[in-house]
Amino acid sequence: MTALPSDSAIALELRRVPRPRFRVKEGTAFGWLMVLPPVLFLLAFVGYPFIYGIWLSLEDRAVARPAVFVGLANFITDAHDPIFWQVVRNTFIYTIVATALKAAGGLGLALVMNQHFRFKNLVRALVLLPFIVPTVLSTIAWMWILDPAFSVINWVLVHLGVTPPGPSWLGNPYLAMGSVILVNVWRGLPFYAITLLAGLQTIPGDLYDAATIDGTDSWQRFRYVTLPLLQPVLLIVTLFSLIFTFADFQLVYVLTRGGPANATHLFATYSFDIAMTAGQLGHGASVALAMLPPLALLIVALTLYMRRQ
Amino acid sequence: MTNRRTAGAAASRRDVLRIAAVGTLGSLVGAPSAGAAPKPLTFLHDSSFIRDFDAYFKKELGPRYEKETGTRIDYELTSVGTLQTRVSAVLETGSGADVVLNGFNWPFLYDQKYVDVSDIAEEVGKAQGGWYDVAKEAVVVNGKWKAIPFGNIGQLMNYRIDWFHEVGFDKFPETWDELLEAGIKLKAKGHPFGFELGHGFGDNHGWVYPLMWSYGAHEVDPDGKTVVVDSDEMARCVDFARNFFQKTTLEDCLGWNDASNNKAYLSQQISCTNNAESILWVAKRDFPEIGKVTGQALNPKGPTGKRFHILNPWSHSVFTGASDIEAARKFLRWLNQPEQLAGWFASADSYYAPFLHAYDNAKFWTVEPRNLPFRDSMESSHLPGWPAPVSRPQAEVIAKYVIIDMFAKACSGGATKDVIKTAQAQVKQIYGQA
Repeated sequence: MTALPSDSAIALELRRVPRPRFRVKEGTAFGWLMVLPPVLFLLAFVGYPFIYGIWLSLEDRAVARPAVFVGLANFITDAHDPIFWQVVRNTFIYTIVATALKAAGGLGLALVMNQHFRFKNLVRALVLLPFIVPTVLSTIAWMWILDPAFSVINWVLVHLGVTPPGPSWLGNPYLAMGSVILVNVWRGLPFYAITLLAGLQTIPGDLYDAATIDGTDSWQRFRYVTLPLLQPVLLIVTLFSLIFTFADFQLVYVLTRGGPANATHLFATYSFDIAMTAGQLGHGASVALAMLPPLALLIVALTLYMRRQ
Repeated sequence: MTNRRTAGAAASRRDVLRIAAVGTLGSLVGAPSAGAAPKPLTFLHDSSFIRDFDAYFKKELGPRYEKETGTRIDYELTSVGTLQTRVSAVLETGSGADVVLNGFNWPFLYDQKYVDVSDIAEEVGKAQGGWYDVAKEAVVVNGKWKAIPFGNIGQLMNYRIDWFHEVGFDKFPETWDELLEAGIKLKAKGHPFGFELGHGFGDNHGWVYPLMWSYGAHEVDPDGKTVVVDSDEMARCVDFARNFFQKTTLEDCLGWNDASNNKAYLSQQISCTNNAESILWVAKRDFPEIGKVTGQALNPKGPTGKRFHILNPWSHSVFTGASDIEAARKFLRWLNQPEQLAGWFASADSYYAPFLHAYDNAKFWTVEPRNLPFRDSMESSHLPGWPAPVSRPQAEVIAKYVIIDMFAKACSGGATKDVIKTAQAQVKQIYGQA
């Protein structure tokens, strides 16, 4: 006859039994519960508009009229539209030039701000100002700066005898593109500078000490210590900047509305004119959606390149 | 005692539940409770350039309507240039406003979501001297009035009387050729012209289309199909525009928006532009010396011997998605009675030129006699894209600035043949004929 186990032995045995699986599931469920709000938020405010945008682009859909499914007809129309191809050129020029200038300028600014000097914190705060001021407001200020009659730039140029009438910053197609790029760089530079500054401050000082002992000069320390360690941050900032610049709207809409003669029209401004002014939501959505493939390609290419480096 | 109290409490809870249930059910089925105030109506409007105009509605008309009918009117203003986006949102969601202001060709673009108000329009027209013919061009869609016309914000020539006098012009030139002659002399004296050729809302269309029409050119025939940008008349007009621009105008006009010419005129940079009454209005208020020497004139005549003007109409519609269509129609009918209209027009002097003949000799036209050309321009005004009927492709041609950019490219040096060929191809492509 087998002796019955005592209560304490049963208790010990129970403790040895593996934890029931439902506890794990409970933990997973809790995790999902926590993730659910942001997932729902993303689905509602990013996923739905995105899918709806794709759907709209496949329809002949005017404001206040029933939709007709037309497949890729809107994209074919875009492909035959000379303004669309001008918009493609403009957007690439605008994005590439502005992003390159912001990257170079932002890196320079970050390196300067990483040095020790008086009022360092005040300068860092002031650098952020263009990024803090609402874009529409700062762009209106730029309208005055670029106005031929009231422009401070023209006033200086005229008084120095450089250009007697003063350039037409927003009237000349080339200068207009240069002007919108300039304003975009002015607005986007702080984003680069502050983020890269944060990246610079994570680089351990010992590495610079070791490099100095090895006899490197300041350029070599930048080339072989700073740049490689800053690369991940630089990648992220450039990706963000590419996306924001490619899809820019406010700045161009306020300054030129795409003029003169479409010289500064970007995907977003052109899409808005078609969708809102002409009331053709489907066609407008197809122009906006045309941003997606080049943007995705840019991002993938840049990521692969940076990884290989 | 205890039992009675308990019974009473139970009855009270039951009553509360019953009332709550009935109330909830009532609100769910939408049954109006006895004596309930009528639902307020939302009247969506663009902010007026004339502050007194909006103030008059808020302080006078809105409260008056509420006093007479018990219905509150929420006068919701959007900032200048953003109303169309807001209207699109209301149309797409089917809620947000009941009565709305329209610009340009909106009654045609959105006609399926606007209530037929032909009966109100006919009644108002009959009682107040009849409508200008051009009013119908802006609101009658397939024989139905989809909006009640309000007023036209005309675009005419604004010029410096004193500077024109200095170069030998005691009155504003009658033809475009004479204006060119005056412009050459004025530019030589440091007083160039400033005509917008950028992507603005109205001041570009305000002179380009009338110039084109006065040369006998247009982009699409009245059949709404035949694209005729590439014509001899258009070539002559583009040649003239390039010559006119290069000899009389500031280069910066190519990048101007609608505020630029006001600013340039009031800072005495330019001697002539095409604009609404706003320049004279601001000049009299803020720059009285400039105000004294500012004149307003009809657009010049072209080689056809005719002069034209842009139709920039304001009108009011009722959304099919209005919370109470009958109440909204009732309000619109009330708003268009002389007791209301006369005061509202007068609050803006003559900035909104009425489409009703009853106001042709109204007192507000005598406040500033220099505004009279805005009344006289009504009969020769048309929507951009005229003489073709309003259509989706036509709206797209305007939204893409095809005609404006054709002239802008020519003025910045493009060959006439090339710019016309490009525009012809664009218009054909938009009309599905490419």
